[in-house]
Amino acid sequence: MVKVGIPRALLYYQYYPMWKTFFEELRAEVVVSPPTTQATLAVGSSRVVADTCLPVKVFCGHVLALVDKCDYMFIPALRSVKSKIYNCSKFLGLPDMTRAVIPECPPILDIDIDINKGKRKLYQYIYELGRHLSWNPLKIRRAALAAWQAHHEYKELMVNESLIPPQAIARIDGEETPSLNPDQPTIALVGHPYLLYDELINHRLTHHLEQAGYRVLAPEMLTTDQLETAITRLTGRPYWTYEEEVVGSGGHYLESGVEGVIGVVAFGCGPDSLMMDMVQRQAIRLKTTPFMNLTLEEHTAAAGMVTRLEAFLDMIQRRKRKEAELCV
Amino acid sequence: MRIGVPHMGNLYIPLKALAQRLNMDFIVPPLTSQRTLSLGVRYSPEGMCIPFKLTLGNLIEAAELGADTMLMPAGSGICRLGYYAKTQEQVLHSLGYNAEIVSVGVSQRKLLGLLEAIKRLSNNAPWSKIISAFRFGLAKLNVLDDIERAVQKVRPVERVKGTANKLFAQAVRATEQADDYKALKRVKTDYLEQLSLVERDENAEPLVVGIIGEFYVLLEPFSNLDVEKELGKLGVEVRRSIFTSEWTKFSLFLNPLGVNEKDRLHKAAMPYLKRDIGGEGWETVGEKVLHAKDYDGLVHLAPFTCMPEIVAQNIMPSTKENIPVLTILCDEQLGKPGMLTRLEAFVDLLKHRRRAKVKV
Repeated sequence: MVKVGIPRALLYYQYYPMWKTFFEELRAEVVVSPPTTQATLAVGSSRVVADTCLPVKVFCGHVLALVDKCDYMFIPALRSVKSKIYNCSKFLGLPDMTRAVIPECPPILDIDIDINKGKRKLYQYIYELGRHLSWNPLKIRRAALAAWQAHHEYKELMVNESLIPPQAIARIDGEETPSLNPDQPTIALVGHPYLLYDELINHRLTHHLEQAGYRVLAPEMLTTDQLETAITRLTGRPYWTYEEEVVGSGGHYLESGVEGVIGVVAFGCGPDSLMMDMVQRQAIRLKTTPFMNLTLEEHTAAAGMVTRLEAFLDMIQRRKRKEAELCV
Repeated sequence: MRIGVPHMGNLYIPLKALAQRLNMDFIVPPLTSQRTLSLGVRYSPEGMCIPFKLTLGNLIEAAELGADTMLMPAGSGICRLGYYAKTQEQVLHSLGYNAEIVSVGVSQRKLLGLLEAIKRLSNNAPWSKIISAFRFGLAKLNVLDDIERAVQKVRPVERVKGTANKLFAQAVRATEQADDYKALKRVKTDYLEQLSLVERDENAEPLVVGIIGEFYVLLEPFSNLDVEKELGKLGVEVRRSIFTSEWTKFSLFLNPLGVNEKDRLHKAAMPYLKRDIGGEGWETVGEKVLHAKDYDGLVHLAPFTCMPEIVAQNIMPSTKENIPVLTILCDEQLGKPGMLTRLEAFVDLLKHRRRAKVKV
């Protein structure tokens, strides 16, 4: 059986169930790299120039972990999934960059995803991708439709059951996930999934919040409608492909009555430097929900992050106490 | 309506000429200075790139002089540039300036979009007047760039260092003052002649270094700490493929007709980078591949955290075509002595390389 490698980084969290279904329908075996470790980051960052952002360094580490475990590496160049809204350069150049910095990588299945070129072109690219695994166009079509279905189910699962992507993926794989306590106070995390759910990159941020007794809300739990209304309110028309995750969810959660909002960005991230700024400005304007901007990079130490987190949670507690006193 | 624009090299000269001919109330903010940078840095989001910070500084300084309508490039599918106007407008508002930013699309409908913006800003001047003013602006741009090209050739070989720079500064002033085609032509012939008369070292065979990278830091000497002049002082001839006039000519007139000067670069980059990644990333890789044979070295300029250039920087070492590349990241932390040391070391390396080649 042909083995297709999927690095557990960047777009993995958004599209894994879809990709998995597609390749498995075409009778390929999907190999996913193990969760990020300090070593993943170390080998990854030894390959790229220093100013490359943290998530891309981690991505290279994951590719290296898969190098001799698969026959093909799946790295799409995701340009645009909505009309005239484009992605960050690093996503556009990802297959080419990987080829340049990891010459020993097995053949890369790169597919251009650009909705602006028309649906026909998109179908053609999907077909070309499938051609590596099957000669039969009908089978590729069936696989693509099944993949699309899987993607929708995945997204619905996260919205309906308020699951974060790793939990939803575990649920799809048949594992149990802990049930929610609706009375718990909530903290919303805002940012890209590859920062929020990679426990090495964010030093187990969700875990720390849960330990402190908070339920974590994530961008994925919101419907497209909620996200789009929030973006329209904040900036008008979205400019970046993943603007919903940041500006959309940030805008929504700041006015949704959560205890606090934490924005998570990677140091040196181009789009986020602007998008998180928009959210921060909105938080300052509204003055209703406490907001903290957490910048992550290789040198961020867990202790430093925990200290900031504790200070933020203390502030929320104090605020609540004061409000209670005023009410009495 | 008082109109303000950000600076980029000498671009203000043609813009000013255009505005004067259309009787627009036009403010040229003070030339980019340390103060501009400080203002920009203070009010920009932390991780922004230097073009954003400097243009924001320019806009704030223009607003201080009373400008209430700003002209900024924007568009989609480029890089952060497309988002500049949105954020800068919010910054200006939060500082208490009630300024509106008029964004000019640089990605689609370029010429028409620009002309329409001018029409709006000039209070509906007749088209004939707009087009003639526009042509005059372009003529000034062309003169400036022609003189600059000549200056680049003279700098490394002049006997008295700094002569060419002095002449260029005078030429810029003269171009700014020229108010009809005749005067403009005189400026051009006059200064080209003066440059050709500069006393040169006839035996010199200067090293040839190409300057590649991101558009703004290439064209705004303040942001790259005058890297071209410094290389000239070290006796290096600088070649640069991006000139404002070229860019305007192609992107406004020829690209819509299907002629693309960058096709050659894209084709060269193809084996290493197959697709447009926004900004100038594709062209940077293409230039390295294309010029590996005819230049001695390349200086790659990029703003710190520039997304397309980081991808290009990662891809460049893997090309078969081999040529030394020095990447200089520009931001508010870039210091002159540090940059000079790196340039000197790089030039030494190129000299050794050339000597080794001659021996073989």
